[in-house]
Amino acid sequence: MITGDSRQQIIPPTRSHVKAGFVVYTPNEGDRSIVILDEGKLAAIDTSGGQRKVVFEMQPGDLVGVASLLERETFRYTLEAVEDSQVTYINEDCMESALKTLPVWMLAVVKSLSAKTRKLKEDVKKPRSANTLKSLAEFCKHKMSKVAIPLTNIIQEFHWQTKIPFAQIKEDLKALARRKFIILQQEQGESFLKVQETELLGIFVDYQTSIEEGSIWYPFRLSLLQKKILVYLSTLDASENLDSPSWLTKIQQRFPQFDVTQWIQLQQFQWFVEKEDGTFVINADKVNYYLTALRYETNIRGVL
Amino acid sequence: MFIAPGEFLCMEGDKSSSLYIVKSGLLIGTSSNKESGQSSENYGPGSLIGEFSLLEDAPCKETIRAAETSEVIEITQDVLNSNLEQRPFWLKSILSFLSSRYHLAEENKQKSNLIQTLPPLLYLMTKAIENKGSDLIPLKELHRNLKSLNGTTESDLKRILQLLEELDLLTLKADYIRVSSLQLIPLLYETLRYRALSKKVSPNILPMSDQMILSAFVQAARENGAPLQNGICTISTEQLKTVAKQSMHGITLTSRLLYPLVQKGILKPSSPFNIHSALESIESFEADFEKVLDMLELNRIFPLLDKKLVQ
Repeated sequence: MITGDSRQQIIPPTRSHVKAGFVVYTPNEGDRSIVILDEGKLAAIDTSGGQRKVVFEMQPGDLVGVASLLERETFRYTLEAVEDSQVTYINEDCMESALKTLPVWMLAVVKSLSAKTRKLKEDVKKPRSANTLKSLAEFCKHKMSKVAIPLTNIIQEFHWQTKIPFAQIKEDLKALARRKFIILQQEQGESFLKVQETELLGIFVDYQTSIEEGSIWYPFRLSLLQKKILVYLSTLDASENLDSPSWLTKIQQRFPQFDVTQWIQLQQFQWFVEKEDGTFVINADKVNYYLTALRYETNIRGVL
Repeated sequence: MFIAPGEFLCMEGDKSSSLYIVKSGLLIGTSSNKESGQSSENYGPGSLIGEFSLLEDAPCKETIRAAETSEVIEITQDVLNSNLEQRPFWLKSILSFLSSRYHLAEENKQKSNLIQTLPPLLYLMTKAIENKGSDLIPLKELHRNLKSLNGTTESDLKRILQLLEELDLLTLKADYIRVSSLQLIPLLYETLRYRALSKKVSPNILPMSDQMILSAFVQAARENGAPLQNGICTISTEQLKTVAKQSMHGITLTSRLLYPLVQKGILKPSSPFNIHSALESIESFEADFEKVLDMLELNRIFPLLDKKLVQ
């Protein structure tokens, strides 16, 4: 008979009365189920390793097995009745039939909560650095230059700090070696790492950061004139102390096209440091930084 | 309902108890929690906004603004409750359970972030101290390096620095941190590293008896008041025995008790010493006083550190 009732019918859950001491659920059961305790008390017992250990107890209203049913996660524990209990089992068919009756938005909420939780759990296991090569460069940057360090120590220590998988670390070590930032060598059957110049690694890290942030990396954006000025500044006495107009004049004597706009640009590059009295001295560290970056441009860019 | 481009659906922190489903258009969510440079969240057709507002009255986590003309459907708690009334009772329990499980996962992630931040942070602090020989470490540089090494956010860095400050390892200022001892941070890093890589307790972690002997040594030094010679403190065996007896609840100091500390090089006897030596044959013991203080401080902090991170 056609009733006109086209609503999905929910398969009812199974209700069961369990005596104290009896097993309510074991991990080996073929059917995944949600177990809801209506009355009484249950204990979740870990029997792995041949030992019995009560992990937690369930009170009326508590439920277990949601992740098992919805996300196929294994429920690891055996449930035993501590006292006479009333239990409701919701198996896959029952759950599916109930979910089919849900409005689409409610089903979407259930899926969203599960997906977000799953992502959080996955994120815990992942390394936090998206750029593992940069991370390794940062780590090696703080090691002493030209000192042979056992490679195993480096890999283990770095893995401990960052949780980056060993295979990835080895690939990144090769990448740094190809760029000539580090040397990998064998001595008497053991592998060692030597950092060539820590400053180079620092420059490489800064370059990688600028790419990630989408910001301008000034060392590789210098005009020909600016490069010439850079070299010129590196030949000057770093303690020379002049005011702004005097620097302008001095540089113009060598480079007539140099003007105020260019001078302001050099401040942006931090090639000068302004002192309290308003005079400027050459920032030798920054000048050296730019020179090194230019000298090793192909290594830093990775175009070899 | 329709939202015009530029209009706000909600502001971060606003009270809300509704779920919104994006039917068409595009909304963009931004949050003051996001680090500068982090991208905002895009909500296109089919996206859900405000699951926890619907389930728990949680305030809006983001400011949501329409990037183009958008249509959203609002689901209120009345709609949720009337739907749940028509459904099996356990469905509500499941929603509640999923929500709690999410919050637990979120809390675990935050704890994990802190735990994962500690080793690289201590590494960078150790290197900063070694390079500059100073107890001042600029915060900006530290964060920049830590972010490159481990992707740590500024908020996570601040939290863990506050935690270390509670343990008296450092003082946190606006632009820098000042470490309380130049040796303690490297010592702590080395101790944690040893434990992680060799899966054993570091030799720097001393049994209680060794700690009590060192405490007695420090107490004796303070009672003595004798000036240090290049940082080295010398205590007569007699004085050490007397102080130890008082502070170690009547336990008599013997060569057997002192031997582990001598073997580790923390205490140096004035004459050759082994486990069978008569203690009376040794005139005095000397030690690097700062090193002894650092060892005692390390052993005080170490068990507290794990607890603090997990709390």
